[in-house]
Amino acid sequence: MKTIKVSFRVNDEPVAFQVRPYETLLETLRERLDLIGGKEACGMGACGACTVIVDGIPLRSCLVLTPEVEGASVTTIEGLGKDGDLHPLQESFMEKGAVQCGFCTSGMIMTAKALLDRNKKLSKKEIVKTMSSNICRCTGYKKIVEAVEEAASKRKSR
Amino acid sequence: MILPKFDYKKGVDIAAAIALYESSKGRARYLAGGTDLIPLVKLRLSTPGAVIDLKGIEPLRAVSRKGSTLIIGANVTLFELKTHDLARNYFPALHESLDATSCETLQMRGTIGGNILQNTRCLLYNKSLDWRTARGFCYKMGGETCNVVSNAAACFSNYCSDNALSLISLSAGVKLAGPGGERKIKLEKLFSGDGRNPFALKPGEILTEIRLPLKRSTGAYEKLRVRNAIDYPLLGVAVSIQDGKGRVCVGGIGPAPRAYDLKDLSASALKEVAKQARQEARPVSNTTLSPGYRKKMTQVLTERAVKRAMKEGK
Repeated sequence: MKTIKVSFRVNDEPVAFQVRPYETLLETLRERLDLIGGKEACGMGACGACTVIVDGIPLRSCLVLTPEVEGASVTTIEGLGKDGDLHPLQESFMEKGAVQCGFCTSGMIMTAKALLDRNKKLSKKEIVKTMSSNICRCTGYKKIVEAVEEAASKRKSR
Repeated sequence: MILPKFDYKKGVDIAAAIALYESSKGRARYLAGGTDLIPLVKLRLSTPGAVIDLKGIEPLRAVSRKGSTLIIGANVTLFELKTHDLARNYFPALHESLDATSCETLQMRGTIGGNILQNTRCLLYNKSLDWRTARGFCYKMGGETCNVVSNAAACFSNYCSDNALSLISLSAGVKLAGPGGERKIKLEKLFSGDGRNPFALKPGEILTEIRLPLKRSTGAYEKLRVRNAIDYPLLGVAVSIQDGKGRVCVGGIGPAPRAYDLKDLSASALKEVAKQARQEARPVSNTTLSPGYRKKMTQVLTERAVKRAMKEGK
């Protein structure tokens, strides 16, 4: 089967690959770019561990074919904090102890980031609703919601 | 899970997408959000030779008014439609069903056309190829038996769209474009009633528009689910009331939704419809909840939804 040339941006850097037409964005990110923050858990779009942000929208990268993101801008967890300067969400996840086994964490943070980016004011109810897009099998939801609340309120006070 | 081999094509407009389909010898599938198709392909429940991406077709992404009709492009995402003022102000049943669909992240990817055309589901069908091979193929997989009900003559898979129910309660129509030209039909006519192949679509047809009469309504959507996020309805009931006339649509049980008209807005008409909905519901043990419970809840949720829709109207 013929490969397809795809060019897009990942964490503000332009990239271009010849990919298999049936290659998922998650495979491209993990195997070609070594961005292993996004995880494959269910592989069926149910759990959200592979969430990345594409043009401002959080997507399950295990359900996205790489040719579909031609020309798009992709942000992964690796694109958030740079050299010790962490994103407020990453800091609040650490402060609140919102990480247990850590497998869901990068997806959780990407879902939360997309939420903070698109909404100015957030109620706890809205946070719970959006964060229910992702599954944590350690069931540490309470602290995750607290961490997102904290990051949202910090952002306001800045 | 690794995807099998297939080719990727992009349709620049509807005619080009149909031409791509025609050149694929019937082995292509149209791809919109992919939240239904990609998992099916991963499980080898669908094995297309090529997928034809419809996302780049701009007219399919618009919500517009034409006279007294609201035209929703099939590629409008569930989240875009949910946050649209008209959906909230004119069609509360639709707004509630959109809000109840899966979770926010998937609402941002899944499209309204894809949500309507999602395949029917069964606890013993949506499984890996190894699992299904060990169990033996059922009607829906091309076999000659039903793995849920022994000696059944038909497939009992469940149609799990939340939004088709509210759209039917609002008397929606759909526009289809295919190799044989365009046609407009009522949304309920889209269903074949056969779980193996649940849609009365001709080969190569694309759902392009959902058309709604632009009339204010009151309404409600009730969904039976176990998790409150990222789950399919185990039963769904939508009700809309327009100009004093009510329409109820029940889904999540069996391969096609069932619609009922409310005779009037009296308590006795409500009881009658709820009872009829329960009697006609034929759940079998192919979901995580028992058939008996789902049957009983058909009456309960119908009453609940109609009462809520009436209250909103006051």
